[in-house]
Amino acid sequence: MPELLDTQQAFAGALQHADETARTERWLSGDARLIEQRLAIYRANAAAAAAKALGAAYPVIQQVVGDEFFDGLARAYQRVVPSTSGDLYDYGAAFAGFVAEFPHTQSLPYLPDLARLEWAVHRAYGAADAPTWDGRALAQVEPAQQAALRFDWAAGTAVVDSRFPIARIWLIHQPGFDGEFSVDWSVGESALAAREGFRVVVRALGAGDAAFIAGSLAGAALGPAAEKALAADPSFDLGQLLGRLVASNVICGFNTDKDE
Amino acid sequence: MTNLPDLTVGIGLRQPHYREVFERPPALGFLEVHSENFFLDGGAAMHALERARAAYPISLHGVGLSLGSADALAPAHLAKLKRLVDLVEPALVSEHLSWGSLGARHFNDLLPMPHTREVLALLSERVDRVQSVLNRAILIENVSAYVAYRHTDMTETALLAELARRTGCKVLLDINNLYVNAVNFGFDPVACLAELPPDAIGEMHLAGHTAADGCLIDTHGTRVCAEVWALFEEACRRFGPKPTLIEWDTDLPTLDVLLDEAATASSIAHRTVEVAHA
Repeated sequence: MPELLDTQQAFAGALQHADETARTERWLSGDARLIEQRLAIYRANAAAAAAKALGAAYPVIQQVVGDEFFDGLARAYQRVVPSTSGDLYDYGAAFAGFVAEFPHTQSLPYLPDLARLEWAVHRAYGAADAPTWDGRALAQVEPAQQAALRFDWAAGTAVVDSRFPIARIWLIHQPGFDGEFSVDWSVGESALAAREGFRVVVRALGAGDAAFIAGSLAGAALGPAAEKALAADPSFDLGQLLGRLVASNVICGFNTDKDE
Repeated sequence: MTNLPDLTVGIGLRQPHYREVFERPPALGFLEVHSENFFLDGGAAMHALERARAAYPISLHGVGLSLGSADALAPAHLAKLKRLVDLVEPALVSEHLSWGSLGARHFNDLLPMPHTREVLALLSERVDRVQSVLNRAILIENVSAYVAYRHTDMTETALLAELARRTGCKVLLDINNLYVNAVNFGFDPVACLAELPPDAIGEMHLAGHTAADGCLIDTHGTRVCAEVWALFEEACRRFGPKPTLIEWDTDLPTLDVLLDEAATASSIAHRTVEVAHA
């Protein structure tokens, strides 16, 4: 009797490479033609599961390239990066790098950045709910301590920089979008992806806001993050940005410990 | 944790139906969801599950644990399931008599096992481990298959009956899967029912399938067919009514279609009870 491990290794091989089907014929019932026909059902199932998961993470790219092309893209991706988890929410992390290299998407140079934005949105969707807090506590911090403030960001908050208008592209592909569809392709955008309550929002950021948020997310204290923001955009308005982020609970706390 | 009454019918809750189910909760005994869709830290999906849980008993149905993998059970996957079970305190927790991963590769499918003493021993150890980690009994479901192993030396139902006896797990009897396999491999599904002790059955599943190239494929994308309804009625007569679920995953119809299928299941189950008591 064949060992279970041997049968599963051969079965797995045949699912990945049709020319390995013969290895299963000794212990699968039926003739070679029937076995190949039936294994093809499983091959299609695995491909469909991964393609569906990829489509769930990258719905805008799926719309941009169309269902048929996306299906081919998903199949090509699976050959390079197969699923490694029974939890398909994790599947697709390397897609941006893949489309950057994929020969048939080179005519869409914004696709890798759009993919990075969609992955950030996807991860924010399932991120932990941000704790609610009283933002007025921020106003109580002594002026001398303000520069050393570090903010707590809602889990999943991310900034994606691009030389393409990725926030705008993302927005006009949202279900129910009923605004003007024009896109100014000459504008690069830094896009914020963040959870506001249970909703994931995407917003185009000014250069100063983007520099501040990216710096703070990376662990910089308020002072250095604000300096970088002012260098990026002399008209950077810290008070207005913080007001918005605190009101939407994307900044969900802070600390003043110098050691962190 | 709630215990479901035997005579109760539920549906698989899928995202497009969330709003309707929450706004006008239909008369259903329970809702079943795929565990893996809720391995998240938070957000809209977890909030929806919380709302569903407030209104109905929940059944967590796993599709990714790969209990039958010859190499190892994925500890990270089991840990995520444990976290979800502790959070939801579901009425039922189920998985499949199948494998889906080997080494680092996951096929995200329910691949068939040979039905042998070796596999029975492996699954007994795995089910013991899962039940000990989750600190509760689970249910194991028979799967649809498109290939069979020459060295299989018992039926899937006989293996499940013995697995239940050894580990204390229950059987999630998928009537459609049993029918699909009976057609694909040419055996008598009613004879298989006879191999299962009524007490071992914890839940039944009903779903639709499609036919392609002389093979029935378990697509969960159509209504339950007449032959599967008849087999379900036979199962109800033998086992008494059991918590029964309408599963639908592809080409999802309106909620009303699911509720209509659930009503059919309910009327069949009631009919068998009335006949038994007549």
